[in-house]
Amino acid sequence: MLRWFFIVVALYLFLAVTLQPARAAKDGPDPIVVKDPHYGEVLFYFYQDDYFPAIVRLLAADAQQQLSEHEEQAELLLGGLFLSYGHHLEAADIFERLLANNVAPEIRDRTWFFLAKIWKQRGYLDRAQDALGYLSAGLPDNLRREASMLQAQILIDSGQYGEAIALLQQWKGRTEWASYAKFNLGVALVRSGNVDAAVSILDELGNLEPFNEELTSLRDKANLALGYSLLQDGRALAAKEPLQRVRLEGPFSNKALLGVGWADAERENYRRALVPWMELRGRDLLDSAVQESMLAIPYALAKLDSISQAADHYLNAIEAFYEETNRIDRTIGYIESGKLFNDFLADNPLDSTGWYWRLEQMPDGPEARYLYHLLATDEFQEGLKNYRDLSYLYRNLEDWQQSVDVYRNMLETRRQAYTERLPRIQDALARADLDGMVNRKLEFDSLLNNIEQSNDWLALATEQEFEMWGEITGLENTPALAANIPEAEEVRDKILLLKGVLQWRLERDFQDRLWRIRRNLRQTGEALVDTQRSRRKIDESMRNEPLRFDGFSQRVYGLEPRIGGMKMRVIDAMANQHAFLQSIAVGELQAQKQRLDIYTVQARFALAAIYDLAATAEVAAK
Amino acid sequence: MARRIFIGLGISLILTLGTISSAQEATPADNSMGASMASQAADAESRAGFRSLDKDVQDLKKEVLDLNRDLFLLEEELLFPANSQVAFFISMDVGEYFELDSVNLKIDGKEVANYLYTEREVGALLRGGVHRVHMANLKTGDHELIAIFTGKGPHTRDYRRGATMSFNKGIGAKYLELEITDRVKKQQPEFVIKEWE
Repeated sequence: MLRWFFIVVALYLFLAVTLQPARAAKDGPDPIVVKDPHYGEVLFYFYQDDYFPAIVRLLAADAQQQLSEHEEQAELLLGGLFLSYGHHLEAADIFERLLANNVAPEIRDRTWFFLAKIWKQRGYLDRAQDALGYLSAGLPDNLRREASMLQAQILIDSGQYGEAIALLQQWKGRTEWASYAKFNLGVALVRSGNVDAAVSILDELGNLEPFNEELTSLRDKANLALGYSLLQDGRALAAKEPLQRVRLEGPFSNKALLGVGWADAERENYRRALVPWMELRGRDLLDSAVQESMLAIPYALAKLDSISQAADHYLNAIEAFYEETNRIDRTIGYIESGKLFNDFLADNPLDSTGWYWRLEQMPDGPEARYLYHLLATDEFQEGLKNYRDLSYLYRNLEDWQQSVDVYRNMLETRRQAYTERLPRIQDALARADLDGMVNRKLEFDSLLNNIEQSNDWLALATEQEFEMWGEITGLENTPALAANIPEAEEVRDKILLLKGVLQWRLERDFQDRLWRIRRNLRQTGEALVDTQRSRRKIDESMRNEPLRFDGFSQRVYGLEPRIGGMKMRVIDAMANQHAFLQSIAVGELQAQKQRLDIYTVQARFALAAIYDLAATAEVAAK
Repeated sequence: MARRIFIGLGISLILTLGTISSAQEATPADNSMGASMASQAADAESRAGFRSLDKDVQDLKKEVLDLNRDLFLLEEELLFPANSQVAFFISMDVGEYFELDSVNLKIDGKEVANYLYTEREVGALLRGGVHRVHMANLKTGDHELIAIFTGKGPHTRDYRRGATMSFNKGIGAKYLELEITDRVKKQQPEFVIKEWE
């Protein structure tokens, strides 16, 4: 069975497919030959992204020693499958054992890089850093750049800003990656407290000429960051320019409009400030910038002495915040009821599992709009993956529980049928006198030997011939034929002739008959040997069958509690995972609610101040 | 005073931006760039919480996979004991002249399997996967296998071809592979049945 793949090992195939399909097809190393259908069967599931059944088949085939032709490849494939399935710790164990000497540097580097990515996403920063430490010069340029970026992010996430800055400052060139590196450098500088240095970096980024949507977004982001940094630093005029560079319809436009307004307000130009803030009025209230603009507008109006208009706006804001808070409360209730995650599982059938899966859209419902941006976070996505994987495991265990129940019944039925049949079989066996048959066959052998030795051709005569021989010899001895008359002599001659003819025939056929009988006896002997062999097998089966039943019973009865116990643990893990996801989602909503509460307090406070002012003015007027 | 509060809120909300690792991440929502010590500590705590859960999930996955292996072996040994087990596999080499739709198997004149392939499965076969289409228990001795393949042949015409093979089932498991290959010279598919011990 020759079958060529564009991979050198299954792992490379896995990595090539996941990371760079085109390249893998073009530059793939020498293909391998599949020499075992069981190995091919694993690949059949693997190529359909059905990692779980592929792993199970690989483990089973390995346990049955059916992969002798692919031992090393099989283990690498297992590592790749574990990785695809998101079973990263087991995958790493295999790779740590196998990758050191057995594969090309490029494959090794790709594997460690991929593991580092998974670990970064899953918050295993130390392990991610270790994995990046294993990289040599084997990684292609694009992945090497990504690996460096990953390293910088890990350093930033773990608070090692100095190291991150040093790494990011090494980035040269004017590529897309260089722009991201510059941005991350700005982040690291701000977090390390070096705002001035960050401002110059962000300003440079904020003026770049983008050639695609990603870079345009990056430019917006840099301008926004720069604008607010300057605003916070009291440089309102300088802040306006970068904020005005942000696109009006991009994802950062709301915050930029708010900032532009504050830059004008800081310089007491409230009339100008109202322009961008008013633009925000018609936008989605979910955005914190839009919420804040609802307070900023009356603030500016009050500054412009439009007190009554300001009061109206404050009242509108309080009303809007109240309604939004109620909606958030309802959403929190919905999430806490557990329905959100049930909807999520219902919307995502479990026909495929694995690390590549990402939730792109929240289940339809009022809560979706509040939680949409959670989808961008690794923590939520990886948590959902785990929740989904656990749900798959639960269903898998449930299916097995039913199957094992069937197998238990099947086993019991087989045992019962065996117990019922056994006495009949034993009776039949007792009746069949095999030893007697063997003895008879031996007697026949001996008899035949005697016949041959004595050349007893008459012994092999047929029944008819024997009767005829008897008749002839009978006639021969008839007294009447002893008379010495011509008639008697004639009959005696005839009898002699007949006897001679019969004897001649019997002697002629003697060897042939002897051979035939010997052949029949030999066949009988063979049949007897077969029967004895079968008998031994039956005896062996009768001895082994109860042991076999016991063996199966022990396995079935042993597996049942294992499944049950495992199911309980999966349920517990699902509950924990559910609670974790729920805490992220509810925490997010609570933060939004808290922000609205603060805004509401501010609006009430400002409104009270306006009423106070109005009352004081009225009193003064009186 | 109100202005300061608003700006303060705005800045804490917007001042902005987590790190970026790729182009796809250049448009995230409002993470915090000026992450405070407190929020960093909260991040670390959350990471540790997730990691602990993830470790549990990883352990469970390993145990469930091991259990599945044991159950898979039990099922096979129980339903198809090695002495009588015969497995039938389908594989494809190249597949330029034949687009597989279904396979029908008859053993000793009796239909035992009729499998319709999905596009995804055919893709997996073309890439080198081998599909175990049927498992059976057969007595020792001679048997006859007839496999009928249907699909699209050269020039995407409907195509139906059979392959027959007599095989002897001895003691121990037997594997038969039905391989679809291309016969380049004739520009026709070829169906070959092979025995594995």
